[in-house]
Amino acid sequence: MNHISRSFLGFASCLVLGACTFLPLRGAAQTSTKTDQWIHVRVESKDNSGETVRVNVPVEMAEKVLPAINHENLRGGKVHIDNAHLNDVDLRTLLEAVRSSKDGEYVTVQSNEDNVRVAKSAGYLYIHVTEKKVCDKTAKRTEGKESSAKNAAAKESKVEVKIPMKVVDALFSAGKDELDVLAALRALSASGDTELVNVKDDEDTVRVWIDSKNVSD
Amino acid sequence: MIFLAKAALGLGATLALAGVYVFHEGLIQVSVDENRASGSHVHIWVPATVVPMGLHFVSDHKLEEAAAKAGPYLPVLREVSKELAKYPEADLVEVRDATQYVHIAVHRGRVYIDAVSDSDNIHVSFPMETISDVADRLEEVAPGV
Repeated sequence: MNHISRSFLGFASCLVLGACTFLPLRGAAQTSTKTDQWIHVRVESKDNSGETVRVNVPVEMAEKVLPAINHENLRGGKVHIDNAHLNDVDLRTLLEAVRSSKDGEYVTVQSNEDNVRVAKSAGYLYIHVTEKKVCDKTAKRTEGKESSAKNAAAKESKVEVKIPMKVVDALFSAGKDELDVLAALRALSASGDTELVNVKDDEDTVRVWIDSKNVSD
Repeated sequence: MIFLAKAALGLGATLALAGVYVFHEGLIQVSVDENRASGSHVHIWVPATVVPMGLHFVSDHKLEEAAAKAGPYLPVLREVSKELAKYPEADLVEVRDATQYVHIAVHRGRVYIDAVSDSDNIHVSFPMETISDVADRLEEVAPGV
């Protein structure tokens, strides 16, 4: 191998080495291990289509992106509510009362159509709603057998919401007629792993939860 | 002989550097297959560096139109690209039913979008930096839109 070939080989080797050291630079900055909180949404349909929706979003990313969205009632991470007195219910006063009260069960409604339970315990607000389908009542009335009772149970629609009180506080920390979604997200990321919403009925299952994994179960 | 060797060395070095520059941001891959008779099959591999460069050759008038349409979403795009860079591995969205499958994920700093149905197979992947490059260029053309 003559002198020129060796020089060329040396130069080419330097270039390749340079390229190899240069290429991973951008990637290396990105591969830092993240232990942030992620919001997961999973919707599973029980019908024949078997539709499944899975969404995983880092809370930190949602916090940064949310203020950049200015669309209709959502401005600067806050949602404007046209009428805070929804159906003559003053939500703010109601939540203030819940916040300042001791742990306990505040609302329990049991009827043939719905069961509703609102409670506060260990820093969490719980809202449980069980809706019974009309056809189930008919089934119960006409047959009254164990099988129909099981059928009725299967056709119940259950909604379970569990929200840290800090998140509720943050949500209502903005001015009147506004919900501060951004503040709520920040409070949520500090709350640790939590199951937020769980909806089960005969058609769909919806689950919203927060944890430090970047994939859903 | 020495002159030729020097010329070859210069050319080789230039090509190597150009190659490193062109490919250092990775490739944009687009693959579209239509599952029907005489359906089109498009497979494109383009170096991501070409996108910001290519945008300079698009007329400002066209870019202004694009910027006007994308204007409200540019801050969102910018934030998304900036934040996604912190999460090199993530399954962001997955929608599946009996006939369709849509998947948006980030793997090793690249965004992957897959849309598969009975009629079409679409796979797109690009480096995350491409999003901010496009947003930057659009904002440059129509600032404050």
